[in-house]
Amino acid sequence: MASLTLDGLTKSYGDNTVVQSVSLGVKDGEFLVLLGPSGCGKTTTLRMIAGFVPPSGGAIRIGERDITQLPPWKRNAGLVFQSYALFPHMTVAENVAFGLEMRKVAKAEIGPRVAEALRLVRLEGYGERYPRQLSGGQQQRVALARALVIRPDVLLLDEPLSNLDAKLRLEVRLEIRALQQQLGLTTVMVTHDQEEALTMADRLVVMSEGRVRQVGSQADLYERPADLFVADFVGRSTMIAGAVTGPGAFRSDGGLVLRCTGETPQGPATVALRPERLTLGADAAGLDNHAAGTVSFVSYLGAMLDVHVRLNDTDHVVAQIPNRADGRIPAVGDTIEIGWPASACLVFPREAA
Amino acid sequence: MATITQRPVGEPGALTAAGLLVPASLFVAIGLLVPIAILFRYSLNAFEPGKLMVDALTIANYVKFFSDPFYLQVLWRTVRVAVACTVFCLLFGFPLAYVLARTQSRFKNLLVMAIVLPLFVGNAVRAAGWMVAFGSKGFINASLMGLGLTSAPIEIMYTELAVIIGIIAVNLPFMVLTLQSVIEGIDRNVEEAAFSLGAPPMTMAMRVLFPLALPGILAGVILTFILAMNAYATPVLLGGPKFQTMGPLVFSTFAQQNNWPFGGAVSFILMTATLILTVASTLIIRRRYA
Repeated sequence: MASLTLDGLTKSYGDNTVVQSVSLGVKDGEFLVLLGPSGCGKTTTLRMIAGFVPPSGGAIRIGERDITQLPPWKRNAGLVFQSYALFPHMTVAENVAFGLEMRKVAKAEIGPRVAEALRLVRLEGYGERYPRQLSGGQQQRVALARALVIRPDVLLLDEPLSNLDAKLRLEVRLEIRALQQQLGLTTVMVTHDQEEALTMADRLVVMSEGRVRQVGSQADLYERPADLFVADFVGRSTMIAGAVTGPGAFRSDGGLVLRCTGETPQGPATVALRPERLTLGADAAGLDNHAAGTVSFVSYLGAMLDVHVRLNDTDHVVAQIPNRADGRIPAVGDTIEIGWPASACLVFPREAA
Repeated sequence: MATITQRPVGEPGALTAAGLLVPASLFVAIGLLVPIAILFRYSLNAFEPGKLMVDALTIANYVKFFSDPFYLQVLWRTVRVAVACTVFCLLFGFPLAYVLARTQSRFKNLLVMAIVLPLFVGNAVRAAGWMVAFGSKGFINASLMGLGLTSAPIEIMYTELAVIIGIIAVNLPFMVLTLQSVIEGIDRNVEEAAFSLGAPPMTMAMRVLFPLALPGILAGVILTFILAMNAYATPVLLGGPKFQTMGPLVFSTFAQQNNWPFGGAVSFILMTATLILTVASTLIIRRRYA
């Protein structure tokens, strides 16, 4: 295992730049997730690390070794694909042994190492089966064993869970994460599923339009998003358009005056509010920002309730509140007090469109 | 995992399917099996000059073929040419088919058209074109001599080489199209997985691509081999009168010598040889890669 460094990595096709100067460091044993909507360049970045896409600029290093110009078969990167990509004409054991044979590992050593890899992914005894005889989850675990057995410098996961059904996904997610930690694998995973990203990652990279928008921990992205895109993409936010009118003061287009924190300069801006930071009812009155609104919609989510509150003709917010046994469920049309602390307002200057 | 839906036997669908098979089955039975049966019967008849075919039950025609070095030479030459053509079609065709299957170019359809285009020109017309190219004053010799690479014209016309080149040109599109459709069905990620596990391109091809393309390789080999074994126009036009192969031999025995019993025997030997070699090559390829 080793660290992985991307230095100003760029990929363009003609005038179309799909990855723009991406610089990242993945520490030894760290699980880094590239997160972003489709077309954001995350997959191209991963494929450049794997060696399938030649970069237009920049460098890739594993430890101190510059691998930018190396072909994929000399990179020692373990790769797991969304489509599993098992060799259909080989048994599970032959699939796992393939990488060892390529490395000219002694025959006597291959058997035990294959068995060990299959044990790691809890597939002992499946060695003689063919991939088509396995379920999707089992196939993906074989793919993982095949990538791990070569003791790769980095493990690359390309949307590894997207083809699995929802229940299995939760299972394999935890399994991959546990293995990764147990073996101390330097890992880069690409996904568009933020829940997946949040549960698995040590650190996350949010990308959009070929650029890195923010690098940070789950809490960094959620509580301190770097820009409006991240605030919108990670978790849920209610957006209120308006302008910063002075230090800690914001006025919405609908005329709402809000107190907020931060040093956003005066000018057009947007406030993002996380639904769970809002308080409904009598407790709202004591908070920095409070107003009366009309309940326009209620979603019953089981443990939680989503309450949509219209504050005036243009502004409306969504509050998420726990569904308590003693609590009264607001009804559509109710007039309700709503409030939130100044610190809940995430203020972003409006991007010049 | 894909689920297999089974239709119970006896449902209306089964009847319709059977009904749809009837025309083709009838066509094959009347158009192919019956003539073959008649031909086989003829091959056991005797031939008397003047009386032509005489009813008999003899294997004399087969004995004649296998005891005459001339005919054995013709059979051996035909097999040699067909094997050479098939091997070269596979060697030339695979890379071409691979590129065609994997290209993301928007000109892909044009490329496919370019491969298919030669099929629009009949065998005889194409062979005539090669005659012009191969002749002692033809395009190839004129170019070689013009460039000073050779001082005298090279004999290409009426050689085995000319016939092999001619048949490869005819058969290559069949090989390429067969391989292309199979390669397109192979997940690109599987190749990438092999690369990432440390396999250089040739190793990847031998261990992953060829085994997975095997059905296409077999189909292409069978198709081109059968076409090459039975080639008629190309060996006649490019090989000349002295270059005898089985296809033209069948025709001349029937049409020029009017020896139907022997013609029947030659036909059957050609058919059997083609069948045996096809099965043999299938077994060899299967054992090698699967």
